[in-house]
Amino acid sequence: MIEDVLGLLSSTLVAMVPLLLASVGEIIAERSGVVNIGLEGIFVLSAFLSALTAFYTRDPYVALAVGLLVGFLSGVLHGVISVYLRGDQIISGVGFNMFAYGISIIGLICTWGQHGASPIVAKMPFIGGGFLFFSPLLILSIIIAIVVWYWLFRTSSGLKLRACGEDPRSAEAMGVNVLRTRFYATLIGAMLTGLGGAYMVVGWIGQFTRYISAGRGFIALAIVAFSGWNPIIAIAGSMIFGFFDALSLYLPVKIQLIYPRMNLTSTSYVFRTVPYIAVLITVSVAFRKGRMPRDLGRPYIKE
Amino acid sequence: MLRTSLLEIPTSIIISFLLGFVLLLSLGYDPVNIYKIIIFGSIGDPDYLLIRSTPLVLTGLAFSIPFLTGTFNIGGEGQFYIGALLSLLAAYTTKSSLMAIAVGTMAGGVLGALIAIIKVYRGINEVVSSIMLNWILYFSILFSITTFLYDPLIPYQSVPVPLDARLGCIQILGERVPLIFLIAVCVAFISYYILYYSRIGYCMRVSGLSPKSARYAGFSPELSVITSMVLGGAMGGLGGSLLVIGHTYTIDTTMSALYGMGFAGIGVGLLGRNNPIGIIFSSIFFSMLVIGGEMAELRAGIPTELADALIGIMVIALSMPYIYRIVYTYIRSRK
Repeated sequence: MIEDVLGLLSSTLVAMVPLLLASVGEIIAERSGVVNIGLEGIFVLSAFLSALTAFYTRDPYVALAVGLLVGFLSGVLHGVISVYLRGDQIISGVGFNMFAYGISIIGLICTWGQHGASPIVAKMPFIGGGFLFFSPLLILSIIIAIVVWYWLFRTSSGLKLRACGEDPRSAEAMGVNVLRTRFYATLIGAMLTGLGGAYMVVGWIGQFTRYISAGRGFIALAIVAFSGWNPIIAIAGSMIFGFFDALSLYLPVKIQLIYPRMNLTSTSYVFRTVPYIAVLITVSVAFRKGRMPRDLGRPYIKE
Repeated sequence: MLRTSLLEIPTSIIISFLLGFVLLLSLGYDPVNIYKIIIFGSIGDPDYLLIRSTPLVLTGLAFSIPFLTGTFNIGGEGQFYIGALLSLLAAYTTKSSLMAIAVGTMAGGVLGALIAIIKVYRGINEVVSSIMLNWILYFSILFSITTFLYDPLIPYQSVPVPLDARLGCIQILGERVPLIFLIAVCVAFISYYILYYSRIGYCMRVSGLSPKSARYAGFSPELSVITSMVLGGAMGGLGGSLLVIGHTYTIDTTMSALYGMGFAGIGVGLLGRNNPIGIIFSSIFFSMLVIGGEMAELRAGIPTELADALIGIMVIALSMPYIYRIVYTYIRSRK
């Protein structure tokens, strides 16, 4: 019993990291007024390229750096399109998701000749042992969340960033360069997401699979709304949804142990729906409508 | 508007093919040969091309109708799944294609309404709830097919649609035309009429352009959002329905024929400039890409996901009308 609790807790702590990194990153971007629906695509592409790096260099930390780089480049693309070219942020993000999925699967098939999953690659070690363990990146991501909260709500540069998302015209009058602020915010957000994507491979699963992200980028977007655009609450949100994620993988294994004769291959599909149902119910029933940044998603047109 | 579209559509296609060219070259393939296969591979069999375009016409409409009210229906995927599954069930039990179509369409509409209600009354971005529903339905349908609906003779697919409920081809002026494509075209024309010549469509368009004006004019923009999502969802459901009763006649246990149709619909809708008539043409173009991609896999070994990547680049290129407007104004001023 106690090991079940600890096991689930550890799985939760492992599963919440990418959600937390991506949602904190997206909070920065959305507070500045840019919405990035392409989190899912960044997850997939960065997971693939970091798996590729870890496969050839055998070094998970280089793979993490590659994840950051993928995030950076995706951020440049989305930032240029949505800030400077005044593009439609949702369409650009949706297109990026398709492109990233397509190119990662092409890469998977061309590199390893596999249609489902890459070989196992070098992984980062966990901290702890026995039934209770977590990744060093968990601590990093929690620190990032707290620092970002402090930055956004207790410093003047954070205030300026939020002003860009609330009322860009006043921010401009205050002397803030709205376009540049939004661009940098998008970059930082995308880089944190890229780190999360690399973590899924070298910190958690240990290989790249076709459905590695499976909507987690969108769960991170749900956490952003759930948290009311507050990084501290996003820690709790990531933990809740990380728990459901862990539960959906844990239950079929556990049931199989108790009833060894039951055929669970098809029933496990039912458990896989748990995190998505949890998100849907939480956001649609159990949660107070948050106030989003007023200028979210609108391109700023300088006069 | 039309003139910038004329610039926008070819440019996005060219950009995507150019980037695809670089991609193929860097992966060590012969891009010229692969593009040849993609472009000419699908023209050989027009029946098949039209059959494959049918679901895309409808998922394109599923995206574009709500788009007019400023709503992003990314849930076309889930609406397509539920339409396919429930039509299969209806066809299996009632042996009637009409029944199958009605059930599939209604299921999609209900799903669309659910997303719209969560958006309007809870303020949750429709993109998030749509994607959650997509995954819930994806796994639920895998579960129901592998557990209850599998064919005892062919375990990797579901029970088939009975022969009485299948839709085939009919002869028009000596040409064989798939019935499901005809239905899709009729639906596209009806949608065009509803959107541009009816009161409902007018309310929807005004709400999309300016919710405040809609409110002053006395109709509720929220109601328009819900109406548009019901219509859009119904299109997604109908798409799944037509695929099952007119093309695959069964659902395989990996859902390979269903997966990605809703997402491709976003590209179809955007490339068709969200105009139902334009969507008919863009869906034929997209199914050329998809069929060509499959041929290229058979003949040159390039994964079919090439089509996904190309469509993705096209969608990104279509997200910035501002650029095309600048270029267009620049070209005009030079003359």
